[in-house]
This record gives sequence, structure tokens and C-alpha cells, in this order.
Amino acid sequence: MLAVFQNLFAPPRHMLLLVIAAWLGLTLAEKRAERHGLSRDELNNITFYGLLAFIIGGRLSFVLQNIPIFIKSPAGILSINPDIFDPIGAAAAAIIIAAMYGQRRGLSLWPTLDALTLFFAILMVGIGLSHLAAGTAFGKETDLPWGINLWNAIRHPTQIYETLASLLIFGLLWFQKQSPRPGIFFLSYTALTAGAQLFIQAFREGSSLIFNSLNQNQVIAWAALALCFLAIELLLRQTKKAG
Amino acid sequence: MTLSQRIILYVLILTAGASWIFISSDPAGTSASGKTSAPQAGFTAPDFTLKTPEGEEYTLSELKGNAVLVNLWATWCPPCRAEMPAIQKMYDEYKDQGFVVLGVNMTYQDDPFAIGPFVSEYGLTFPILLDETSEVGAAYQVRSLPSSYFINRLGIITEVVIGGPMSEALLRTRIEEALK
Repeated sequence: MLAVFQNLFAPPRHMLLLVIAAWLGLTLAEKRAERHGLSRDELNNITFYGLLAFIIGGRLSFVLQNIPIFIKSPAGILSINPDIFDPIGAAAAAIIIAAMYGQRRGLSLWPTLDALTLFFAILMVGIGLSHLAAGTAFGKETDLPWGINLWNAIRHPTQIYETLASLLIFGLLWFQKQSPRPGIFFLSYTALTAGAQLFIQAFREGSSLIFNSLNQNQVIAWAALALCFLAIELLLRQTKKAG
Repeated sequence: MTLSQRIILYVLILTAGASWIFISSDPAGTSASGKTSAPQAGFTAPDFTLKTPEGEEYTLSELKGNAVLVNLWATWCPPCRAEMPAIQKMYDEYKDQGFVVLGVNMTYQDDPFAIGPFVSEYGLTFPILLDETSEVGAAYQVRSLPSSYFINRLGIITEVVIGGPMSEALLRTRIEEALK
């Protein structure tokens, strides 16, 4: 079954999974947008501009980091190959453009993030599945019975762990009651995702280390989790004061 | 839940998280580099020995010390055709710095009589190897063509590009990384 899935969505077709996840996530987020005080049109617009900035920003960031090369081969800027892409630059561009759009349209930060949360949650499921299809973000070797044969070894199915964790988080969010304060919904999602990553990253191979032995991704996830708790507490205090 | 209950919960979760980071820290097991051979970035490139149509033999592991591009292609594959001029151009430009291209034709799923005219049409001067028994196709777990593997001077795969065509700019970024 895994082999059939990996053949069906072998790279570069694995990116279809991200497109499907983005579409599904947006559709589901639309259904709940008004619950968070955001119209469907605003949600669609902010997502559209964010995705557009993600695509263009990812390409531009890659080009800027390799300027001498693109001076020699300028046509490469418009190449259709998706490998000319910097995901960190893409995410930064998407956040900046979405923030600018939100500010221009007078959208409040927390309700907007709450409305986008289901989109992020489904996108994470798509990312897990695309990792599984491409065989990237793979796990350490294991002799556990649920290990999968990948890259000539039996490994922790970290891609399946992250997909299942994302699905579980989505389920929790979908059935969660209206949050008491704008922002709690988004922060709960971020805390749950950070917690899941903190756990799963321990089984990933090839992570960068800091302080000679600590997994950098786990440390980042821990810091994100701590920040979420702090932000939740600050929001709850504001609510109490306002009340 | 009261404030003090919440704070206790946060502290417990963060302490458990920090403990997990320390318990699961494993400096020896975080890098795939050089441990196993597999067609994925960070692994040693799977070794192979193949012949050119003229019968000259090439073994990948004997090219250690050079940066190598293993490009898997077929004559019937349009993106393979489209990227060949860029590969040839980059080969001409970087070969003096220790860059080698091995153009591995998937002969077991190609027309062997089409290979010669293809090489002539594009004026390819780098070694064209024939994978007649799917030895390389299987070792590199090929599911799409073209598939390109950039291998550094130590024999470790630095980048995998599945699909194409690769532009000159993309080739340059990957080659310069492999040459480091």
C-alpha cells in the first residue's frame, strides 16, 4: 500500500498533495470563517495573496541568495523547475504580504489567525503526506514492528507520525467549541503542533544539532510551545481585565 | 481552570518537553551521511559500474575526489531532451574544476538504436552509460525521468532533482555546492 502511494505521488507529483491540502484546508476554513468574525471573501483574499507571495517570494529569495549565478544565467529566474525555491524566504514573504493585506483591510490579528487555523491544520496533513510520498523527512533506523523500509533500511515512519498527529490536531480543533477569546484557537493549534513536533523530531534522522547534542528542531518546538503558553496567558488576562 | 492550576500545567508540560529533548538527544544518530548508500541527499551514492556504447567502463566510486552529476534519462523523455544542452554547457564550463557528468541511459526501457543519434544531435561529450539490466534504475529507485543526483567529492549525495528540465542556473547552484 505504501509502495502504491509512493508510486502514485512520486516526486514531482508529491506537490499535488500540497495543492489538494491547500484547497481542502481553505474550503474547510471558509465554512468556519464567519464564526471567527472574518468574511469568506476576506479569508479567500488573504489566503490568495499569501500563497502568491509564498510562490514569488520563494523564487526571489533563492535568486537573491545566488545572485552571481543568476547574473550568468538570468533566464533561470523564470525556469519552471520548482527546485529554484527557498521555503524560508517563501514563508517570510507570505507572512509579510498577508500582514500588509490585513492591515490595509483593517483586519484584527487574532480573529484572522483563528479563521486561518483550519487551513494551516490541513496543510500540515498535506505536508506529512508529501514527505511520505517523496521519502523526505525520514526517520532513524529502528527494529520496531511498524518500521517502514525506506532508503535501504527499516526506519521510524516519521512521515506517518506527523500525518497522524496533524489529523488528530485537526480533529481536536474541528470539534472544539467556540474559543472564549480571539487568538486562543490559533494558539491552541500552534501549541499542539509544537508539542507534536517536539515529540516526533526525536525520531527524525539528519536534524541539525545545537550545543553539540541537542536536536535543533526540538529546541525550536519547545521554545514555540513556551511562547504559546505565554501568549495564551496574556490573552486570558486581557479578557479578564476587559470583563 | 485557575491561574495557578494553569501555571502548574505549563511548567509540567515544559519540563516534560525539556526532559524529552535531553533523553532523546543522540549525536551519533542524527546524520545519514556516509552510513548507508541510498539515492537520497545525505547518503553515500549507490555505486555502479556501467559501459558506454563504445565499451568503456565507468565505476562511480572510482570518481571520488570529483563532483559528479548522475543524470538518468531516456530518448523518449521530453524534459530529458530539454535539459541536455544545459548539462553539456555546464560540463564544458566546470569539468576543469573536477566536475564529471555520467549520463545514464535507461536502456532497458529505451530504444538502443535511438541513443547514438540522440548523442550526436545534442553534441554530448560527457560519458553516456547504458543501463541495460536496470541495475542503476533499481539502485536509484527511479520513478520519474529525468532524475539527477549531485554527488560531492566524498561520494555523498548533496542534492536530488527529480523531474526537469533543469535550467542552467539550477545546475550551477547544485554543481557549485557539490564542488565545495
